[in-house]
Amino acid sequence: MAKVDLKFGKKLKKFGAIDFNACYNCGTCTAVCALSDEKDSFPREMVRFSVTGLSEDVKGSLKPWLCYYCGECTTYCPQEAKPGELMMSLRRYATSRYDWTGLSGLLYKNLLAYIISFLLVIAGVIGAYLSDTFTTEEWFHYGHYFEMLAIVGVFLLILTPNIFRMWLYSVQSKKKGFKLKHYFSAFGELLVHMFTQKRTLKCDDDAKNKIWWFEHFILVFGYLALLFTTVVLDWFATEVPFIIYMGYVFSGIIFIVTFDFVIRRIRKRSEKSTFSHPSDWFFVIWLFLMGVSAFAVRLLVDTGLILDNFWVYLFHVIILVQWALIIVPFGKWTHFLYRSFAMYFDKVNKLNAA
Amino acid sequence: MPNIEKKSFDALVVGGGIAGVESAINIANNGLKVLLVEKDLTIGGKMIMLSKVFPTLDCSACITTPKISEVDRHPNVTIMTNTEVLHIDKQDKHYFKAQIKEKARYVDVSNCTGCQLCEDACPVVVPDQYQYGMVGRKAAYIPFNIASPRVASIDIENCSLCGACEKACPTQCIDFTQEDKEYEIVVKSVVIATGFNLFDPLKIPRYSYGSAKNVITSMEMERHLAPTRPYNHVLRPGDGKMPDNIAYVLCTGSRDMTVGNPICSQICCMYSIKQAQLLMGALPMADVTIYYINIRSFGKGFEEFYEQAKGMGINFVKGKIGQIDELENGDLKVRYEDINQGKLVESKHDLVVLSVGAMANEDPKTMFKADTWKQDEFAFAQQKDLFYTPSLSSIDGVFLAGTTSGPMDIPDTILSSGAASMEAIRYIKQAKVEI
Repeated sequence: MAKVDLKFGKKLKKFGAIDFNACYNCGTCTAVCALSDEKDSFPREMVRFSVTGLSEDVKGSLKPWLCYYCGECTTYCPQEAKPGELMMSLRRYATSRYDWTGLSGLLYKNLLAYIISFLLVIAGVIGAYLSDTFTTEEWFHYGHYFEMLAIVGVFLLILTPNIFRMWLYSVQSKKKGFKLKHYFSAFGELLVHMFTQKRTLKCDDDAKNKIWWFEHFILVFGYLALLFTTVVLDWFATEVPFIIYMGYVFSGIIFIVTFDFVIRRIRKRSEKSTFSHPSDWFFVIWLFLMGVSAFAVRLLVDTGLILDNFWVYLFHVIILVQWALIIVPFGKWTHFLYRSFAMYFDKVNKLNAA
Repeated sequence: MPNIEKKSFDALVVGGGIAGVESAINIANNGLKVLLVEKDLTIGGKMIMLSKVFPTLDCSACITTPKISEVDRHPNVTIMTNTEVLHIDKQDKHYFKAQIKEKARYVDVSNCTGCQLCEDACPVVVPDQYQYGMVGRKAAYIPFNIASPRVASIDIENCSLCGACEKACPTQCIDFTQEDKEYEIVVKSVVIATGFNLFDPLKIPRYSYGSAKNVITSMEMERHLAPTRPYNHVLRPGDGKMPDNIAYVLCTGSRDMTVGNPICSQICCMYSIKQAQLLMGALPMADVTIYYINIRSFGKGFEEFYEQAKGMGINFVKGKIGQIDELENGDLKVRYEDINQGKLVESKHDLVVLSVGAMANEDPKTMFKADTWKQDEFAFAQQKDLFYTPSLSSIDGVFLAGTTSGPMDIPDTILSSGAASMEAIRYIKQAKVEI
């Protein structure tokens, strides 16, 4: 028998949920949701789970990830219970449950822990610089290697096990047995949703939403391209003009778009940018800083001023390390994977059920 | 209208709906003089427009008209219709001065026999507001057959000034030279019975009211079901088809913060259940579905009435409608979550009735001096004390009857009017002792 657990609601507030206890269970949110359908009806069910404290059902559900925060539920909720923001906080909660290290939960719930971890990175990088262990040459060299190592390490040690746990909770626990062919036939979903985020376009056909999708789309593209340019093509050290040019474009895309995303959150331009959890701020601001600092570093390299302005490179390294060791494995970055894997797993679940 | 030579009354009752009529009769029966002021052309308010009343299923017009008739003939009651109250100023402890404006009717009421020859002669046809635009009326018209006073009126805004009615009138009572008249009267107490307004569903564009032809309000359905109905049948307005799958959307504009009305309107569940039962009689083959958040059948006999409806085969579905879209054939697709199943459902109906809520009528606010008339947070009249003195307003000597102080059904309105008139009588008698 399920037990009502009121503590769960209080816990969710730390993940950013607000007012969801005002829900009187009318289902308007589900009825106005453009992404909801007969098979996957939300968000009311998730609100119910949250109010009654069915945390295991939340953990095992993919519905938080099927929501793309169009915001209509929040606009039309007759109780102003903000179901859209609840779904957002459930994504943070789910992330914390998937994460085997438990660090995601700690950072989401505790701003101080977030800040301390950021300060530790700053102290570490500056300490390494002051200790004179590396020459300036080596700094450039190892910065590049660090990036490669961080990517491989984070993927192998943190993200892959977490995706496995997500699968365990949301697919394997639902259905005994394993049909490999379903995983093959649904695989396209993963790639399509990872690289196009096209589900956003189902929200409604208002122009604002389309602009948001386009900005987000080129941001993802710019981010992945810059990652490739810096890590594989070694942008900071390369002599090939074409690669140098590409790097400028991609880092430019990142800081221009993220600047707009920060402005959206400051001006609260739509439902989805009205409420901002610290993790949202860190995500957009750090992405912005990364784009700007990478751009500046290469510019200084090209103008031959980098050695006189080495602090710029150090700043870039600090941002990069914070990004790679905190935001990517434990922060909002993971939505890149969980969202697309959720679409994939949902399809697998449907094939399994059929 | 009778010339008010006598400009002083014991009580001024503002509003000629069932609350005002009931209060006026009560006060007048105690030997006190009452002036009943109604802004519309006829007294009777919303109740006289209804089909039947819940939970007894009495014919609404049939139980309203005896009261109307009684107040109309009462020697102690003076009725002024088509009249607005401009100001009510409290002068001292037991003495109010009121400024009222009787709008020109362009008909000499004392000579009009209600023969309707002017109506026949008038060439101008406009939508009939008393039938919610379902049929037309003339610019020279009697509001409806059981109107009181049952006399003609010229709708001067739509009148073409052709003079046909003047020629047709056998008693020469049509008078285009009439002008609005203002009076100053003196009263000892005031009863406010200005009632409520129905929620305007145009404020919820998702429900397609106004654009989809077969989405109507519950008040329009009342007219379809009333004995004095325009088509003598229940027909959907889009194409005149007899509907056979009707949906009710409860809480349209009630319990909804997004339209600024978070409270329950108290009447919609029950009037919808009543209409559904009547529809089962009017259209025996029709399916009727009521989409609700919670059914609130809290009054005497209400729960039994609800159970009776379920027994009759009316379909109750828990879930609020989120979206209504018109299909090509005029049918409607409604989208909702079936709460008991936890599933999003889209279903089709050929007629959708929006059970619109009750909103405050803020007219009294403009009648009194600023800040003396207090409203509650939903713009209904603030009661001096909800528990001990529910019919006392924020102004000493001004009493609250019916839905002025909040949504309520007809039985509660009668009770409230009884309380308000009793308080008014007490106040007037006290004044007589003191003066």
